[in-house]
Amino acid sequence: MASSPVPIPHPSGPLAGYRVLDFSDEKGQLCARFLGELGADVIKVEPPRTGDLTRGRGPFFRGEEGLETSLWWWTMNAGKRSITCQLQLSAGRELVQKLVAQADIVIETCMPPTAADIGLDYATLSAANPGIVVVSITNFGQTGPYRSWQATDMVGAAMGGLMSVTGDPERGPVRILAPQALTQANIQAGVGAMTALYARGVNGGVGQHVDVSMQEAVVNALDHSSPTYDILGIDIFGPGIRRVNNGQLGARYLYEAKDGWVAALQAGHLIGPGANAIIDWLAETGEANGLDAPEWREKLTALVPLSVEDRTRVEETMIAFCRTRMKEDLVREAQARNAGWAPVFSPAEIVESKQLAARDYFVRVNHEDIGESFTYAGAPWKLSETPWAQRGRAPHLGEHNEDVYGELLGLEPADLRRLRMKMVI
Amino acid sequence: MSEALKKPFAGLRVADFAWVGVGPLVSKYLADHGAEVIRIESSTDPETLRRGGPVVGGVPGVDNSGYFANFNSSKYGVTLNLKHPRGPELARQLVAKCDIVTESYTPGIMARYGLDYASLSKDRDDLLMISMPLYGQTGPWGPYMGYGHVLQAASGINHLTGWPEDPPIGTGIAYTDFLVPHIAAIGLIAALDYRRRTGKGQYIDFGQFEAAVHGLGTAVLDWTVNGHNQTRMGNHDIEAAPHNCYRAQDGRYVVIACETEKHWEALKAALGRPEWCDLERMRRRWQRHNEYREIDRHLQFWLDDYTYDPQRPPPDEAPRDPDAPRSGASRPTSWSRISSRSACPAASSRRPRTCSATRSSSTGATTTTSTTP
Repeated sequence: MASSPVPIPHPSGPLAGYRVLDFSDEKGQLCARFLGELGADVIKVEPPRTGDLTRGRGPFFRGEEGLETSLWWWTMNAGKRSITCQLQLSAGRELVQKLVAQADIVIETCMPPTAADIGLDYATLSAANPGIVVVSITNFGQTGPYRSWQATDMVGAAMGGLMSVTGDPERGPVRILAPQALTQANIQAGVGAMTALYARGVNGGVGQHVDVSMQEAVVNALDHSSPTYDILGIDIFGPGIRRVNNGQLGARYLYEAKDGWVAALQAGHLIGPGANAIIDWLAETGEANGLDAPEWREKLTALVPLSVEDRTRVEETMIAFCRTRMKEDLVREAQARNAGWAPVFSPAEIVESKQLAARDYFVRVNHEDIGESFTYAGAPWKLSETPWAQRGRAPHLGEHNEDVYGELLGLEPADLRRLRMKMVI
Repeated sequence: MSEALKKPFAGLRVADFAWVGVGPLVSKYLADHGAEVIRIESSTDPETLRRGGPVVGGVPGVDNSGYFANFNSSKYGVTLNLKHPRGPELARQLVAKCDIVTESYTPGIMARYGLDYASLSKDRDDLLMISMPLYGQTGPWGPYMGYGHVLQAASGINHLTGWPEDPPIGTGIAYTDFLVPHIAAIGLIAALDYRRRTGKGQYIDFGQFEAAVHGLGTAVLDWTVNGHNQTRMGNHDIEAAPHNCYRAQDGRYVVIACETEKHWEALKAALGRPEWCDLERMRRRWQRHNEYREIDRHLQFWLDDYTYDPQRPPPDEAPRDPDAPRSGASRPTSWSRISSRSACPAASSRRPRTCSATRSSSTGATTTTSTTP
């Protein structure tokens, strides 16, 4: 058959030569994709006909729902191969066992304890291949009273505490629209997968089971929340637009500019050791609001918490200053004065970012099936010897059945026809 | 099983010039899994985090910060004044005995002291080094400084957090500091595995911003493919309804999310199948998405007289009676209370297991999160 357009070969990646079997839902697909972009051969295994459930996750290409149009699917499965296999059938499970024997990592997301029902539990997989690294990514982990609970991204963010440290004091907890609980589960599973793979290399080829909980992954992302509760007994809630210091609401860090918002810690560094540089800036334009007086300079640089009244005056000064200026101008000038400000970017502004353009970050991905190409996010790492590579669009359902079953299991087209008729693939 | 195995990174030595959040977390993974990590700090200007609260016993001091301790356990610490004439040479001698160098200074600082990759790898090709500043080694923002708290703004997190029609909120924490280290570590360990097999080191130019963009879900393609610029929408979702956070009678918050038909059916059962659930306009997912306001009204009404009962048995022991919505609701439906501490006592007291990815970055075994007022 004609060679498939995807995935693009990547023999120079650091993980070239490894093979990953990806049985995962939203909790593991990004993890597997990263491994593929580092050179591994990633095979997404999907149920025949219906395909992976995440093919139904929107938004969709031009709003048209369909098996091959999910932008979630496109984003998280780009550059993988896809095969179909019905794990509810013993014939399907037998195929998987044979593939596992030729793989290095399995990523699965079955709700405990159901993995054993379809042959994806560690005992079964390691029997087929003692060197296999099995990464199980679940809502709450393999054990504990919640292990069989349903969860979505928002539930993970809620029970991991992220919504709490993201809330507003008046309006309650709020989520981050981009799914952070899922992202955290994926990337922390990636660290676990890589650590276990490395461990195998130094331990004579022995694999292991990596148990990743989405809830725990979110808990790991809570900054100083844990020591703040541990040491001070303070449970952070709802800082809104303020930074939390020592369990207390600190100065606000978001200020409205003429054309959007900027993020500037400590009232734009008006509070803290570097305050004089910002006070000078305000004084130069005549907008210091009295803060350039010596007693204020002393107070603002003193590293002693301000009274709420004083802090309010400082914040009001910064609010008035930012409101009349463009955010990129503010950030550039603040950076020139050693203050680490940043603009609040929307996804579109990120795509248009001059910094990312200067580093050739974004990549064009060819969708030859619909005759177009689109811009995708680029290299998270610039590796000098073994580069990252985007490996093409996400696969169609079962696009690589002949490739994979032929190449790895030696099955002929006639075998595949028979398996297809029996609804195994 | 794992007890008999060698810790994966045992025998590797890391010279860690990184500071604050991202770099020290990356080297902590290596340290937690067996590497000998040596934190190299200025002897005259202690790193920022050592001044950060919470401090033990309420006494500020460079060795009292819980913030610092949380990211730097399992490591050795040495001080070195790079501005002293002999400082850089001592640093180079130390690196000569190390396998990996980690750093997160503004681009150019390491080179100023002759500690850039080209200089350090001159007589050896097995050195692995990763630089992790906010914006990478090049480009107009390369020299820009900041912390995870503002990088989350550049990375879209603030824009995507909050209520529609209202200003962006974002997190009250330095969020990207806990997003990008995991991504950095994936690339670093991949390069380390390549080194294990080939003996070859390399240099990794890691820009935190560029990693953080991968945490945006579908937002990039939604813009580049569909021209739709995603924006904050409270606790609602682009695709799913019901999907919100509600306030119970006792002031605690509960989230309810139904992404699939299965979730929706389970919620209906938990609610006791009130009439509104079976209306024609609630039948399909996109229809419910259109009706999210009405759904929110019904669910808030239901939760208005719901109170959290700490005496209630853990979920696995709770009666599974679909006709008893108050007690059965939590079992089949995808919803939960906000505070993991109150809602999930068993989970929050669990101890570390061997080689759990989440543990390798964990900041401790027990506490977490959040208050519900």
